[in-house]
Amino acid sequence: MTFSGGTADRPPPRADLAATLVTRDQLSPDAQLLRFESEAPLRVLPGQFTMVRVDGGGLLRRPYSYCDLLDDGAFTLLVKEVGVGTRALMRLPVGGEVSSLGPLGTTFDLPPPDLTPVIVAGGVGIAPFVLFCRRLAESGRRGIVLLGGRRRPDLYLWETFERFGMDVRVASEDGSAGHHGFVTALLEAALADAGQPFLYSCGPTGMLLRVAELATAAGVPHQVSIERRMGCGMGCCLGCVVWAQPPSGGPAEYLRSCTEGPVFDAETIAWNRDPHPL
Amino acid sequence: MDMGVEVAGLRLPTPLIAASGTFGYGDEYRQVADYDCIGAISVKGLYLEPREGCPPPRIWETPSGMLNAIGLQEVGIRRFLAEKLPAVRALGKIVIANICGSSLEEYGELSKILDQAEGVSAIEVNISCPNVAEGGIEFGCDPDMAARATEVVRRGTRLPVIPKLSPSASDMAAVARRVADAGADAVSLINTIPAMAVDVETRRPRLANVVGGLSGPAIRPIAVRMVWEVAQGSRLPVIGMGGIANAEDALEFLLVGAAAVQIGTMNFVDPGVWRRTFDGLAAYCRRHEVAALRHLTGAMRPGTTG
Repeated sequence: MTFSGGTADRPPPRADLAATLVTRDQLSPDAQLLRFESEAPLRVLPGQFTMVRVDGGGLLRRPYSYCDLLDDGAFTLLVKEVGVGTRALMRLPVGGEVSSLGPLGTTFDLPPPDLTPVIVAGGVGIAPFVLFCRRLAESGRRGIVLLGGRRRPDLYLWETFERFGMDVRVASEDGSAGHHGFVTALLEAALADAGQPFLYSCGPTGMLLRVAELATAAGVPHQVSIERRMGCGMGCCLGCVVWAQPPSGGPAEYLRSCTEGPVFDAETIAWNRDPHPL
Repeated sequence: MDMGVEVAGLRLPTPLIAASGTFGYGDEYRQVADYDCIGAISVKGLYLEPREGCPPPRIWETPSGMLNAIGLQEVGIRRFLAEKLPAVRALGKIVIANICGSSLEEYGELSKILDQAEGVSAIEVNISCPNVAEGGIEFGCDPDMAARATEVVRRGTRLPVIPKLSPSASDMAAVARRVADAGADAVSLINTIPAMAVDVETRRPRLANVVGGLSGPAIRPIAVRMVWEVAQGSRLPVIGMGGIANAEDALEFLLVGAAAVQIGTMNFVDPGVWRRTFDGLAAYCRRHEVAALRHLTGAMRPGTTG
């Protein structure tokens, strides 16, 4: 990152640990919040992810953002059914075990003290911001959270953000909650209200692109979490690449969303070089 | 228990080698894999110059397998030697440099550069990447081209030379015999199998490159058969690979004639594969009263279990 809000410079150690499912909250017909207890304590920074292996969930591990990290070392994952990997995880019985390889990847930096965080999230893209807002709240800070989805049930964990003291504003494509339309329609007002904003985003690529355009136009710093299909999460398969400028400078190249990402400085991303994944 | 093996003049403390393209430049897995169980590391394929690789999407999961079309994104030989090699050397592992060429000259040049490099113990010659099409030359399928690539690498170095064979060749043993005559010290096989998958909803290929290479347990029985054929049909030592996930899988390759094995895709799935496979091999040797693991190479018996 070209700007740092003061999070740890050294990444926390990674390990492949057994994790036991302890609770399951059905947030909507096709989304769950799963709480796991890890066999060993974890240190995780906001924005990082884990590669999860679950029986019946396909050959390769699947990446999930750490949603929250609780005091006792437990962590939560926000999972929406999209394929064989998520399906197996959502059908894992309580007491069942997965292996969790993490924490992996880059982190959302807390904004400098004079800037107000503005978060834009679509659907399960809200996941990494729970831990992020927990850290904000712990340091006595507030921010604006813009939450979008197709319909009201897709606006996950709304109350959690309110509990952290965030100013939550929502949009739904069917008009069943908040603004009728895309969440990005709420952005300009939020930037104005924030005064000196620092933007964070995670969600569908179309949304990220629109947020990036608005941020660039407004000259607002913007960190974005980008996930691509991953094979290893460890920087070795080179499957998950995004065309972007490396943090060290120099010309753009294919960077790994698992290693140089998932959190990137949005200005470094070449959004239109490759077709957008769904 | 003697778990060491010797192949291509390399004395490996364990028969398990990290497969090129699945273990980065060697140190990426240091926090999660048990490096004591790894006999050598074959690093990501190297060209003279850096390459940007194929556009995404680059990977797709298939039943018990993985399709990839990375297109050999890599940093180039000079940056490898300056920036990547020191880190893997510091781990005290035997390093095998995997090289690729778009011409015979490029193979020769890479060979000479590596011959002068400190800390590289052998050269694995990729003559068979399915995702790189340039100049229309397929070194891996044609025994003559495979031999010529091997020969130019051989001329450039005193290091052991290990051509990595393509499963697309119609007679892999014939390719092995030709590269043996051209100066190879061993062969490794198999590289991924050209394959593809289609999204029927959008009617588009799953990979931007359309065709990719299939790896993982899905290809293991094919790989075992090919290792057996090459071991039977040539005098070269064989390094076997293809979807190895545990000791039993590794033993299949050893018994049909492999002197050592590589683990690739399954390291992505479970970095604990190294410890589990190593311990399983040691347990097998104890259970079968085998004094040294190398005695298992080619030890398959005639007849069937029934």
